[in-house]
Amino acid sequence: MKYKLELVDLEKSFSNKKVLDKLNLKVIDGEFLVVLGPSGEGKSTLLRTIVGIENLDSGKIIVNGTDVTFKPPNKRNIAMVFQNYALYPNMTAYENIAFPLKMARTDRNSIRSKVDQVAKLLNIEPQLNINVTRLSGGQQQRVAIARALVRDPALFLLDEPLSNLDARVRYTSRQELKRLQKELSHTFVYVTHDQVEASNLADRVAVLHNGVIEQIGPYNELYEKPNTQWVGDFIGTYPMNFIPGDLMGYPDSTIGFRTRWVSEGNDITAKVTLIENSEGNYFVHCKTGDSDIVIRTDTKYNVDDTISFGLERFNIYKNGVLEEIKSGNSVASSGINDVDN
Amino acid sequence: MKNKNMPSYIIAIILAVIFIYPLYILILIAFEPISLTFDRLYPYQLPFIFTLKNFEASIKDLSLIKPVIRSIIVAFTVGILAIALATPAGYGLNKLAARFSNKIIMLMFVVNMMPAIVIAIPISVYFIKVGLYNNIFGIALAQELVVLPISVFIMLGGFRALPQDIENQAMVDGASIFHSFRNVILPLIKIPLLISFLLAWMTSWDEFTYAVIISPVNPTFPVSLYDYVSRGEPFIASSFALLVTIPVIVIVVVLQKYLKGEYLSGGMKI
Repeated sequence: MKYKLELVDLEKSFSNKKVLDKLNLKVIDGEFLVVLGPSGEGKSTLLRTIVGIENLDSGKIIVNGTDVTFKPPNKRNIAMVFQNYALYPNMTAYENIAFPLKMARTDRNSIRSKVDQVAKLLNIEPQLNINVTRLSGGQQQRVAIARALVRDPALFLLDEPLSNLDARVRYTSRQELKRLQKELSHTFVYVTHDQVEASNLADRVAVLHNGVIEQIGPYNELYEKPNTQWVGDFIGTYPMNFIPGDLMGYPDSTIGFRTRWVSEGNDITAKVTLIENSEGNYFVHCKTGDSDIVIRTDTKYNVDDTISFGLERFNIYKNGVLEEIKSGNSVASSGINDVDN
Repeated sequence: MKNKNMPSYIIAIILAVIFIYPLYILILIAFEPISLTFDRLYPYQLPFIFTLKNFEASIKDLSLIKPVIRSIIVAFTVGILAIALATPAGYGLNKLAARFSNKIIMLMFVVNMMPAIVIAIPISVYFIKVGLYNNIFGIALAQELVVLPISVFIMLGGFRALPQDIENQAMVDGASIFHSFRNVILPLIKIPLLISFLLAWMTSWDEFTYAVIISPVNPTFPVSLYDYVSRGEPFIASSFALLVTIPVIVIVVVLQKYLKGEYLSGGMKI
């Protein structure tokens, strides 16, 4: 398989705090990879080290098969869209987009044709001659993306580019970004803490935790088969429910299940503490033993009801690591797919 | 008329009158015949006769022209040197953590807390040795001491006000350090550059202590003006004083738009 970007044993610390701790990651040519992690886990630092504006303590960065670890940012052939877009405020949209081409000493005519082309692609032709500070947030974001696209680099890094937009614009921008990436078959590495963005955009999601990629794979796989309890807790609008294994007859382990993996039955008995109504379903918060769990039901229960239910499927964790996946009432254990890297 | 700002307007007007009154006296002395000003015990406060005689006399007397030219050269040297030194200093300080750069800036201002005379005399002794005594560039270098801290402070403020990732973005977009400074940073710090240049220019224009100690024989304009006043020729002096006040007034009017404090705060949140 051809990799656009390979990160080997990246290490980086800020004043004794390890941000990246021997991080390894391989990005496949043409894929949309989303790096997902809670705030403060070093997602932005990761992008900044890849692009070269932050120095590494140790490790190797390989872009398109070439080692770029010791090259300055302007020699790495990577484009990046910063969270605040970092548009040049003294320039018009056109000048902003043309800037990378100007730096690459492209001749005037091909600059014009390339900028026009990318402006058409992103629907910002009418705004080209306006100073960027006078554009709306959505338009500024398009200009920032256009500036990245215009160069045709090996790799695109995007640092939460949608986080400054309001909800409606964010929704349309998300669709557009995905469409662009597929149409141009570029390789995107996209950093976010937003689960919805990750599940909608990503071909693969890499979960960053404690300075390493804790798990990587399609969002559904992360959702259903989290390799560790931490990933299960982090992925999903509702964290995975965890109860002591004794309840189901698995001593010394923990049972993990999603809100919707419940069925008729009486494996678990719990007391309702809170009910949330969300788009036609009820999310019932309840307490069984010492564990707080949330299940999705169609029935409206009342607070303080005692309910019992069965589990359609569940994962068994030992010491926080996935051990076995049980689905249905049969004890068919499916092997955990060891995803490449 | 109800106006909440009324008291502050009244205070502003009183202050303005207090500050403008000396200038008004200067104008009276410059344009009135001597008989109506200095020859009277109680000079008239309102102009009766308009005359250009004092002006003619002062322009005929060429001995003040040279100091003015000297002052102009010194002021421009001080201004240019200020931005040439303060721009890289501010740029570098901005890369440091604020707790370090703020301390360094503070240290620079400490120099200005000492009386100028204490520093001027050892400097002049040294300048005699290296041949900068009685030299306009000697004056410029000494005056740089006064203006440089504030220039660095203003430039640091300018750099701090820049969008955070703009320089990184320029690097990612393929610009070298030179190009990113030339094409991206420089256009964004034009105003702080202008302010530090003009403040340095103005400070040098009427600086007295260093000028009189470092170059008493070839004096700058404020020093020779003092000579004239003390020799008892205040009419020529006041005409000239008026002439050199005009550029300062022009500069202040130009600056006014930018002297709103955001650049003078050094980018520090108070």
